[in-house]
Amino acid sequence: MSARIAVPVFPGTNSEDETLRLLRDCGGNAELVHWSQASSLARYDAYVLPGGFAYEDRIRAGAIAAHDRMMDSVIEAAGNGKLVFGVCNGAQILLEAGLVPGTGSIRRPTAAFSRNAPAPHFVCRHVCLKLAIEPARCAITASLPRDAIVPAWAAHAEGRLAATPEHLREIVAGGHLAFVYADSSGAVDEAAIPNGSALGCAGLVNREGNVLAIMPHPERDAWNFNHLDRREGDDVLATSGGAALFRSFVQALMS
Amino acid sequence: MRAVAIGLKIPDNTAFTAAVALRRLGIAVERVERSEIWFFEGEGNALIERVKADETIFNPNKHYVTVLDETFPRSGEVWIEPLEPRHPDPSTGSLEGRRATAWRLFGPNEATLARESLAAAVERLLCNPAVERAVYNKHGKLERDIPRASE
Repeated sequence: MSARIAVPVFPGTNSEDETLRLLRDCGGNAELVHWSQASSLARYDAYVLPGGFAYEDRIRAGAIAAHDRMMDSVIEAAGNGKLVFGVCNGAQILLEAGLVPGTGSIRRPTAAFSRNAPAPHFVCRHVCLKLAIEPARCAITASLPRDAIVPAWAAHAEGRLAATPEHLREIVAGGHLAFVYADSSGAVDEAAIPNGSALGCAGLVNREGNVLAIMPHPERDAWNFNHLDRREGDDVLATSGGAALFRSFVQALMS
Repeated sequence: MRAVAIGLKIPDNTAFTAAVALRRLGIAVERVERSEIWFFEGEGNALIERVKADETIFNPNKHYVTVLDETFPRSGEVWIEPLEPRHPDPSTGSLEGRRATAWRLFGPNEATLARESLAAAVERLLCNPAVERAVYNKHGKLERDIPRASE
């Protein structure tokens, strides 16, 4: 029987449908698990935390969800080596839970995806993520080629990596900087960063390589019908673009 | 420079959620009050009118505004302020500048929580030290937490 993937849904999550659909289209055995079903989460083999506004971003984005009962199971699973992948609000929750970069203690965050800068506005913009680690450094990226470019949509007001200089040094030295913003050719420059993120960071991985948090949404550029580079004659329902990262996640569960 | 508190006169869902989360963390909170603190030059009614005219921070149907006596928290209160001040936003012309979120946590009999419990709430939920710091009232004076390195 194939590995079971849980897509936890908190009050306020809003990207669970496309996340679930893409996991299934990539061959994953995925199910939604709502907050009222928290006790069933431990039975799953892997977790994908989708985007949205869990608990309306009250106090800070991800702060309340990080203390939710559902996260008790996810934190325990991550400690046991199961794969955990967070996108956008899911990534913010993983930071608040201390699972990434994982340089502090559980639920004692050492970094934040904070208010965008210089303009503190919601940003909706097509971006490219460049893999900044060796693919095998993270189980979830292991099937991607070196320097892979993953297209996605940035859609957030709090996506700027912020931390003290000491913790930013730890992120670099510990190999936690998994993805950086780049242009479609892979060139890394300021213009490619939509939110003022420190280190140009688009994604972080923990030390063990089983927890990955990324801010942009690859699942919103994942089928030909919503892929910017769609060509005449393409099968509109075929996966493409950002699906590569989800396919790599599913691949890791099969290997 | 004066501190202005803008609070909700409708039910504060964020404060309610914070109270529930803090109880789950073992902190004995009966009730939570929250307001946004902004710092402006000016005095008295002119200052209040200026704040009320900025519809990006004040909605008369939802908010009340109070000019505070001090530019630091009252006893039993903590202010959570960003480490980096927000950038002024020229596109909206709003008054954005230095700001903080004020929290008052009440235990049984409407007494504010002791400093140790308040600090525990700050450390475990109310403040992310990567981007924020806590400001307390210590014997009638301002006291700032220095952001900690990882534990």
